[in-house]
Amino acid sequence: MEFLSRTQIILALGAVGLALFVLELVRSRRLSEEYSLLWVVASTAVAVLGFTTPLLRGITRALGILYETSTVFALGLAFTTVMLLFNSVKLSRLSHENRQLTRELAFLRLALEEQGAVTQTPSDGGGGA
Amino acid sequence: MSKASVLVVVPAFNEEESLAATLDELARTTRADVLVVDDGSRDHTSGIARQHDVPVLRHAVNLGVGAALQTGFRYALERGYDIAVQLDADGQHDPAYLESLVEPVASGAADVAIGSRYVARTGYRAPRARRLGMVVFSTIVRLGIGRRIADTTSGFRAYGRAVMEVCQHDFPQDFPDAPLLITLARMGFRTCEVPVEMRERGAGRSFYTLGKSLYYPYKNVLASLMALLRRSA
Repeated sequence: MEFLSRTQIILALGAVGLALFVLELVRSRRLSEEYSLLWVVASTAVAVLGFTTPLLRGITRALGILYETSTVFALGLAFTTVMLLFNSVKLSRLSHENRQLTRELAFLRLALEEQGAVTQTPSDGGGGA
Repeated sequence: MSKASVLVVVPAFNEEESLAATLDELARTTRADVLVVDDGSRDHTSGIARQHDVPVLRHAVNLGVGAALQTGFRYALERGYDIAVQLDADGQHDPAYLESLVEPVASGAADVAIGSRYVARTGYRAPRARRLGMVVFSTIVRLGIGRRIADTTSGFRAYGRAVMEVCQHDFPQDFPDAPLLITLARMGFRTCEVPVEMRERGAGRSFYTLGKSLYYPYKNVLASLMALLRRSA
């Protein structure tokens, strides 16, 4: 195995650090297991590429890229794009669910009003929800 | 009006200036029940509706005119109404046309009746950009469903119960225009146009701000294409 370049070492250490941070977020329940998966996979991939020069070189040649660093950038960009798209999909679903909940709330409020349990919505005087 | 029970759904977002006049006019012109869907207003919209003894469904946050209408549909279905008519709170839609708008749906001749500015010669003159958009969307709809609908952007519409059943699950949230008409036509629902005259809006601001006027064409072209690509249910 060849000596690792400085870039590769920094890259690999960064990836390991990221993986640890992601796991810590999951541990402290700030990131759900579901979302952590992509991040763990990505940082592992970067770490593996960082440590194994032949693999990175092979991929670089296969993709027709001149420098190994460009391969890393390209993969990073691809991952970011996928992640953003994934987030947009999630966001669309969340806003759909949000609408359902908002509607449900409106109906419950009306039902309460009709039973005389409440008289006015608090926001009648302005100032939003 | 015919025997079918009709609910007039008034979606309202920050319409405190014009809502009272609209509700007064409705009370004078029709015996149909009225529902105000307050789409997260930050003014006295809900209060004004209550002063008029009109039931209010209030969204805690602003969801868009399509979502407000969908809320109205669900109310209409739950309470057993046969027909729901969308009537804007800003005074553009004249309740005098309610009867002629409801008639084709009540008689079973159509599932959706659109109050259209272009079927007959009416006094309405839209700004040039808007006219262009109307031609474009009318063309898209014609290509999509093989039939011409002159006024695809009119919000003054009567919906029959079967349409509401479908729409309460799947409905465009922001601009229920051309894509909706394509979707409905592909599901086998019949639309018809009824000539109406529209007025300038009374007070308040339109739903369609500058940002939306740029987003609107994009969204509606894309959504129309998607409506055509989806397999009809």
